[in-house]
Amino acid sequence: MHELLNDPIDVTVDFIGHRVRPKIIKWGNTIFNTEKVNLVHPAREGENLIFYFSISDHSHFLKLRFDTHNMEWRLVELYTD
Amino acid sequence: MSIILHLDFNSFFASVEQQANPFLRNKAIAVGGKSGGAGTGSTGGRAPLLARTVVTTASREAKALGIKTAMGSMEAMRILPSLIMIQGDPQKYSEITKRFLNIMRRYSDAVEQFSTDEAFADITQAAGDYFGATALALQIKEDIARECGPYCTVSIGIAPNKLIAKLAGESRKPDGLTVVPPADVINFIDSQPFSAFCGIGSKTEEKLTELGISDVKSLRRAPLSLLRSHFKNQGDWLYLAARGAGDDQVSDKVEDPKSIGHSYTFPYDLELEAELKTNLLALSDKVAFRMRRDNFYATQVSAFVRHARFPGVAGPSSAGAGVGAQHKIKDGISDGLEIYKNAWEIINKIRDKEMPIRLLGVSVSGLIKSPLPSRLFKKDQKTHRALEALDEIQNKFGSDSWRRAATLKTVFLERASGWHYDHEI
Repeated sequence: MHELLNDPIDVTVDFIGHRVRPKIIKWGNTIFNTEKVNLVHPAREGENLIFYFSISDHSHFLKLRFDTHNMEWRLVELYTD
Repeated sequence: MSIILHLDFNSFFASVEQQANPFLRNKAIAVGGKSGGAGTGSTGGRAPLLARTVVTTASREAKALGIKTAMGSMEAMRILPSLIMIQGDPQKYSEITKRFLNIMRRYSDAVEQFSTDEAFADITQAAGDYFGATALALQIKEDIARECGPYCTVSIGIAPNKLIAKLAGESRKPDGLTVVPPADVINFIDSQPFSAFCGIGSKTEEKLTELGISDVKSLRRAPLSLLRSHFKNQGDWLYLAARGAGDDQVSDKVEDPKSIGHSYTFPYDLELEAELKTNLLALSDKVAFRMRRDNFYATQVSAFVRHARFPGVAGPSSAGAGVGAQHKIKDGISDGLEIYKNAWEIINKIRDKEMPIRLLGVSVSGLIKSPLPSRLFKKDQKTHRALEALDEIQNKFGSDSWRRAATLKTVFLERASGWHYDHEI
């Protein structure tokens, strides 16, 4: 099942060198532990810089959106096999 | 003699999706041409908005089951009901395009982007010889796996010119590496069908067959005069291609465009004149913004429509032919409203008013690289200042930061095609 969402989430991150790695994602009452960061890509909305993190755990794919302007994280895609 | 490297991603958009989402790997997936908008909802990966899009890329698993690039999404789903259709995500793909071009630029000063997933590099200096070129190609593959992801594989061809390098790259997929040094060029091209050559389309191939030329060997035997008489300038090109000769100039210069345009195939047919007008105005504003951003004004406007169907023909294969025309403009323009007025005049003349419209297109040409000359009348000067202010807003806050009231209801989904990304043009 593939859901397109735009929900605010809480994210605990690791800082590794110059990189940020989402570690724990809290979406409502559900918690996901990142197993793999598969792809990170930036996007511009005007001058605003957004980062998208494509991550997965053992049974879910999540796409997270991080807005560098207001430091807000959102869950924008959830895919379950 | 030059050493040219051609790099081509395998099933580009689909591989990037499979890299991002491991649950799509080893599955038959296809990426649709338009990206999803808000509100597409939960659809099991098959969004309703894909109903009128085409397959821009099929995964290798989907290709093996008969799904082809440019196939309509409805047809693809009919052939393979288990196909997972993915809405394209152009920003994701453009990041990978940037990464692989940066990797290639590490090894060559001359890198020429050929499409979103293909590029040439002149590696004569960096490689030294064909042994060095092979080592360099393996290094590029390793860099791509590390920096773009191991699921993003590329096929590389190395040869003395762009024609043969591309042919070599395309000859082994996925994850191929084909090296054709000068001494092997003739043997290599003799083993390739005409359809593999970039520059020999189906019509040219048909014409060659009619002349009794069925393969590269027989093309090489054909006299130049015969080829010229049947193919004009392309005859010279065919004569040289049959001998393995081709262009070895890799240019990283981006030429100024000859025209700037936008077209859009709508998810439903437009029947009302008001709908046509608002969508045409929104497209015209997109064209105008790009012109002003790149410092052009235009002296010619073209418009194009495709009717929903031929009269009396029903069903999905009934899509009507396109009609278009152009206007020359006395004074240069760079305002969306002016472009719209000219385009509407054209469309209103050429369209069949009884027929709904499925595609609208507007473009400007006769481009002059310069800011629009200052206007004589106060009203025009005021419009010009307003446009400058709106452009600043758009640059700061993004493409949806302002709209004309008349276009508030128009929605254009972003597309990913093999040639460019909507968000970059």
